[in-house]
Amino acid sequence: MALIEKPAPIAVPDVATPSSSYGVFRRPVESTGWKSWLFTIDHKKLGIMYGAVALFFFLVGGFEALLIRLQLAGPDGTILDADKYNQMFTMHATTMVFLFVMPMAAAFANYFVPLQIGARDVAFPRINAFGFWCFLFGGIFLNTSWILGGAADGGWFMYAPNSSVPFSPTSGIDFWGLGLQITGIASLTGAINLIVTVINMRAPGMSLMKMPIFTWMILVVQFLLLFAIPVITVALFLLMFQRNFDATFFTVEAGADPLLWQHLFWIFGHPEVYILILPSFGIVSEVLPVFSRKPLFGYPLVVFSGAAIGFVGWGVWAHHMFASGLGPISVAVFSVATMAIAIPTGVKIVNWTMTLWGGKLIFTTSMLFAIGLIVQFTIGGLSGVTHAVAPSDTQQTDTYYIVAHFHYVLFGGAILGIFAGLYYWWPKVFGKLLDEKWGKWNFWTMIVGMNLTFGPMHVVGLQGQPRRMYVHTAARNGEGFFNITFWNLVSSIGAFILGIGVLLFFINVVISSRRSEKAPLDPWDARSLEWLTTSPPKEHNFDVIPTVGHLDEFFHLKYEDRGEGDHHDFQQVATAEELIAEQEANADEHIHLPSPSYWPIVLAFALPVMAYGVIYNLLLVPAGAAIALASMFGWSLEPHTASPADYDPPAPEGGAELEVSTNG
Amino acid sequence: MNRLVKQHQKVSIDLMPTEPTTSRSTRSRLCNAAIGLGAATVLASCASDAPQDTWAPEGKYAQDIHNLQWPIFMIAGIVGLIVFGVITFVVVKFRDRGQPIPEQGHGNALIEYVFIAIPALLLAGIAVPTVAGVISLNDTDDADCVVNVTGQQWWWEYDYPVEADGTICGAQPTGEAAPIITSGQMVIPVDAKVVIRGTSRDVIHSFWVPKLNGKRDMVPGRVHTWNFQAEQPGIYAGQCAEFCGLSHANMRMEIVALDKGDFQAWIDNQLEPYQSPEAGTLAAKGEETFISQCSRCHQVDGLTDADGELVVSAPEQFVWSGAAPNLTNLMTRNTFAGASWDLLTEDAREAVWEASADEFGALYLEGVTKGTLNEIDLKEWLRDAPSKKPMYTDPENLEDTDGKTRGMPYLALSEDQIDELVAYLIERK
Repeated sequence: MALIEKPAPIAVPDVATPSSSYGVFRRPVESTGWKSWLFTIDHKKLGIMYGAVALFFFLVGGFEALLIRLQLAGPDGTILDADKYNQMFTMHATTMVFLFVMPMAAAFANYFVPLQIGARDVAFPRINAFGFWCFLFGGIFLNTSWILGGAADGGWFMYAPNSSVPFSPTSGIDFWGLGLQITGIASLTGAINLIVTVINMRAPGMSLMKMPIFTWMILVVQFLLLFAIPVITVALFLLMFQRNFDATFFTVEAGADPLLWQHLFWIFGHPEVYILILPSFGIVSEVLPVFSRKPLFGYPLVVFSGAAIGFVGWGVWAHHMFASGLGPISVAVFSVATMAIAIPTGVKIVNWTMTLWGGKLIFTTSMLFAIGLIVQFTIGGLSGVTHAVAPSDTQQTDTYYIVAHFHYVLFGGAILGIFAGLYYWWPKVFGKLLDEKWGKWNFWTMIVGMNLTFGPMHVVGLQGQPRRMYVHTAARNGEGFFNITFWNLVSSIGAFILGIGVLLFFINVVISSRRSEKAPLDPWDARSLEWLTTSPPKEHNFDVIPTVGHLDEFFHLKYEDRGEGDHHDFQQVATAEELIAEQEANADEHIHLPSPSYWPIVLAFALPVMAYGVIYNLLLVPAGAAIALASMFGWSLEPHTASPADYDPPAPEGGAELEVSTNG
Repeated sequence: MNRLVKQHQKVSIDLMPTEPTTSRSTRSRLCNAAIGLGAATVLASCASDAPQDTWAPEGKYAQDIHNLQWPIFMIAGIVGLIVFGVITFVVVKFRDRGQPIPEQGHGNALIEYVFIAIPALLLAGIAVPTVAGVISLNDTDDADCVVNVTGQQWWWEYDYPVEADGTICGAQPTGEAAPIITSGQMVIPVDAKVVIRGTSRDVIHSFWVPKLNGKRDMVPGRVHTWNFQAEQPGIYAGQCAEFCGLSHANMRMEIVALDKGDFQAWIDNQLEPYQSPEAGTLAAKGEETFISQCSRCHQVDGLTDADGELVVSAPEQFVWSGAAPNLTNLMTRNTFAGASWDLLTEDAREAVWEASADEFGALYLEGVTKGTLNEIDLKEWLRDAPSKKPMYTDPENLEDTDGKTRGMPYLALSEDQIDELVAYLIERK
């Protein structure tokens, strides 16, 4: 990492250099050590932290899942009592959705979107940091419920009136609601940040249709977040006021309709599932071309289908409510709309397959995960089409058939995509490759485990096993060897195999980190701009912001078409190393980067203080609000870059002298 | 430039697997395909006679749903197989065998449009019968029989109203007509369009008897209608299918279908006036115990106390959701506590549940007898209900429900009281 260096005294300042920092403490300017992580505003460090915390919560959610499967391994299990079980499945889903998949996508987006568009950071770096700390504090706050009276027990969908105090007297649901409000702030600020970044900060020449496909999918996701998070925010506010301040939004005796919650939740909830899957679609759309050695088939249609999914995704929410008592007209309309959304999704499957077709396929671990996604997601997508048929769905909904569906699309889709991205981008982020042999064991164990766990759920669901039940009884499980009891056992065994598969990833991380061998700059001969950097990238990303002339600009910098007319003949004209060396030789003289700051973490800290206040002692609410207000004041008055007085004089390391100046 | 190309190739040889690993990878893929096929065959063997099997419909509406769904599943399955086939082909045919950089094609408009049109047409084809199905399944007019169903944590109540023409669920009672209130097992006549009018007293539940129809949520403050029509006499198993809290897993129900004659007998029996136990028997003691321990929540119609006053339950004072199961004719049904346990011993249960359509009615109408009563579960329930079925009944924890329970509390009954109650209850037929 480059040091932010103390500026040389300037005789005629052409930009204002601030004379003092704004706050009680010296502004943190460390570039190494724990402070450089705690106060960072660098999108790359934030991306790594998002990823590390997300992977931690993946293990937490996975542990919760294993307890569930242990309980359901046989009929009338006794591992978890009914109350603990209800908390367990609520928290498993909440953790996986909000504390793993969404932040993992944020990790990739934060790290790679600026690199892919040739920018040096996001538009609002301090807000970026604030978002991360909100996520971390929100996730911790949510999980303290386990030891503070019990976690939320109403299901991740938290239907009213079951979520009201008489039906759920512990504070678990309050922790859930407030925790998600805090993490929701992370998503919302991240969304605004990334939208502005993509719209405003692309490298010269990079039109929207020359933008890498991953960035496109992330852009669609940020718009989805922008409009969906406010809906769940409203729903959570209504719930919090219902539970804590005697509001009657969901009190039937006062005339409330419990379906209000369902509509609010699912208007958020359905776009949410596209928020979960589109980043992985973006990753796979990057990985497949690289390891097929040809471009993404039908890039414009992949872009448009992503946008179409984002758009049509707002019109299908009530397919989660087919049995809830909506009238037949509503049900019919949503049923047809749900079928419609299968079309742009199918387009992507076709485009990925045609990308592979005629290619030169190289089966690295990343590529295996990407192909795995195509296969597994197709299964989940097809079962989804069967749910779209509303009458059939009245048999399927609330059974394990639905559990099978969404685990195929979420594990087989979102998570396999995440692993494809991890194996693909790891060498760029950490400078070392993950081991390919361990990687293959990781992949195949996960595939076997996944299919053993979730495959049988199709069967048990269609044979009548409902979901969200702490036991299944022999009386409902049918005769014969291959009955519901048997398939539940298979699922449970599969879950442990899946757990081993996940563990293999972490073992791979440890083993690979112990190796001293550095990864090449461009190990995969990739196509997009994030590879036109060192591994890991320098703090300012690019020595020279590239001018972009093509989609897959990096590929076109390395390979030139020497053919004529329709006959193409791509010859390599440069390696990544040469291109980097060329950059370094022509490095920009004035590179502007903002300084780290402690206001983001302080402001984020105020939020759980207020949240604990709502649950335990209302005095904490104004106390937290005061911290928040003071932080916002300090933040706004703080200059973008640190004043000279904040530095201990560090020894300048070689490299370009950076002149600090005001910038975003 | 050659130097550059060689360097590039060196990089690719070191890091990206070439011949040995790809053929191993191919073998693994074929292996996986074989596993997949084997799995598919194995999966085809499912439970026989799963009581809630949605692919083994036995009533008109479940059959309508099935007629709609299985072709669509087939289409989905075929599409899936095609996709897997193509992927397998591609993965084998186009693996890296040292060929040069392939044609850098960017797309093909024709392929794109064809593969948009095909699914669009397929889905349009599926949409038409789907919409028709939605509309027909929601037609709850012209009922032959109406039953009011109320879900409550964690049991089901059935209220058979007396219609304007004096019939109850399409049958004309022989004696005086009055509403019949039962729980657990909903008894209906065969070949009749039975419309339930469903709601809840507390949280959202869902009424689901898969062999007869899909599920319909039971929402407090709303009334939803839903159809059932059984074609054969028998017991049809169901479960609450919307997460409703602690004992959602213990909230089951059954629909019992009887042919017209048996159903008439059932209605008439339900309306029989109350018969006190013979004086001096254990059951008579049980009646007193029932009045003192149970009747504040559980209604038995016609029960009178020592002063000859009708005993009317007031569960709304003790139970948060406001009701408890009516036990007037408990032993005419064969499950209890939200249909979570059998009132019959294992053999007797099997005889009733597995009975053929001709024999079922008579067997069911026998109800539970002293010889076939499952004393174990019933006594465990009376001894300590909350330890058998998770419920909110701990007196220390009831502030958020104004001191009222959600479920049946622990009553600290003595063994003698339990014996008396069992002797009394066995006569509730």
